[in-house]
Amino acid sequence: MSTKEEKREAILQATYGCLAASGLSATSLDDVAQAAGVSRATLYRYFPGGRDDLVSAVVTWEYRRFFIRLYNAVKECETIEQVIETGLVVAHQAITDHEVLQMILRGEPGVLEPTLVAEAGPTREQIALFLTPYLEREELRDGCDIDHARQFLARMVLSYISAPGQWNFDDPEEVRRLVRSEFLGGILPEPTSLTMRQI
Amino acid sequence: MAESAQILTLPAREFRLQPNGDRPKRILIVDAAVACLAKQGLKKTSVEEIAASAGVSRATLYRIFPGGREAVLTAVVETELARFFSRLAVAMGSAESMEEVLVAGIHHGGTQLLDHPALQTMMVTDPEIIISVINFEQLDHTIATAATFAEPFFTRWLEPNASRRAAEFAVRVMVSHLIDRDQIVDLTSEASVRTLVRGFVLPGVEALKDQE
Repeated sequence: MSTKEEKREAILQATYGCLAASGLSATSLDDVAQAAGVSRATLYRYFPGGRDDLVSAVVTWEYRRFFIRLYNAVKECETIEQVIETGLVVAHQAITDHEVLQMILRGEPGVLEPTLVAEAGPTREQIALFLTPYLEREELRDGCDIDHARQFLARMVLSYISAPGQWNFDDPEEVRRLVRSEFLGGILPEPTSLTMRQI
Repeated sequence: MAESAQILTLPAREFRLQPNGDRPKRILIVDAAVACLAKQGLKKTSVEEIAASAGVSRATLYRIFPGGREAVLTAVVETELARFFSRLAVAMGSAESMEEVLVAGIHHGGTQLLDHPALQTMMVTDPEIIISVINFEQLDHTIATAATFAEPFFTRWLEPNASRRAAEFAVRVMVSHLIDRDQIVDLTSEASVRTLVRGFVLPGVEALKDQE
């Protein structure tokens, strides 16, 4: 006995498997139907737009799974610095190692765009929400608005996840410098006052 | 708003040397194409419409642009990019402090792009073209190109390495607000951009400087 939601999930999982195994252009609706153990008619019932509909649903599904995995990788971190540093490194590695994503980027990057645009705002809100308790634990700079700070940090996280620019995310020391300057420069007190406090 | 509107209404043609009737046909065609794009987007804009809008014949258009529609559109992109960057250079070059450089770059860059009539129309009619320059490898490329332009404006206050990083940081902040707008920051408001710069961007750049 499987609910509609479980069946949909199973079809997406099967589609993802097909994409990983044979690539985007070589994956047909028949392949997916066979892998998921359903008929073509059932596929069309769940994804009325056919192949395009299915591919875009898989992209959105995997996009959300990506951020769930990222959440799991950072949820044990204790400070705002740690959580951002770890998140950036893990996300960078996950994107580099993500075979299906890299394959789509090489073949049909246009497939990703609608999802990336549609999910940008909601994802930013999720990241901002996740960062809030970390910010609440810190002593913030005078005049720093916590709502503005978390939105700014969420934007920077998303920006660096999609485009690392000239920073080397394989070097933890460089990531630390990046997070302390561009991310937290206006949010945490200056390092000198931090040292004074610790003394 | 008044200030940004003024920048946007300063078309390159105000600097022309010839009286109106003698404007080179090449410029007439490029400007007509920009107007067509603003009116109806890319897919619906044909060579015939561009020629009609420019007041030249189809044969004249092909004599000046043997490559036809594609060649005109390439000239449009190059002309609009040159206009964009030259206006931005005027704004950033007259800044007297690092805060002013950051505010000028993010505010004027963002305002020009958000208020550009052809870009606004194409965001609706041909979103995939606009979106294709802001994702993944393309986003890295777009940020790098803009940072290369912005970098020299920071060298009055920063070492070369920090200038490069500051320029990339500012571009990144602007692009983020362009593609995903929120209730906090309005790129077309100088005051709003200044709050953003004072709160997060300038302290970030100062911290970058201390690292060098």
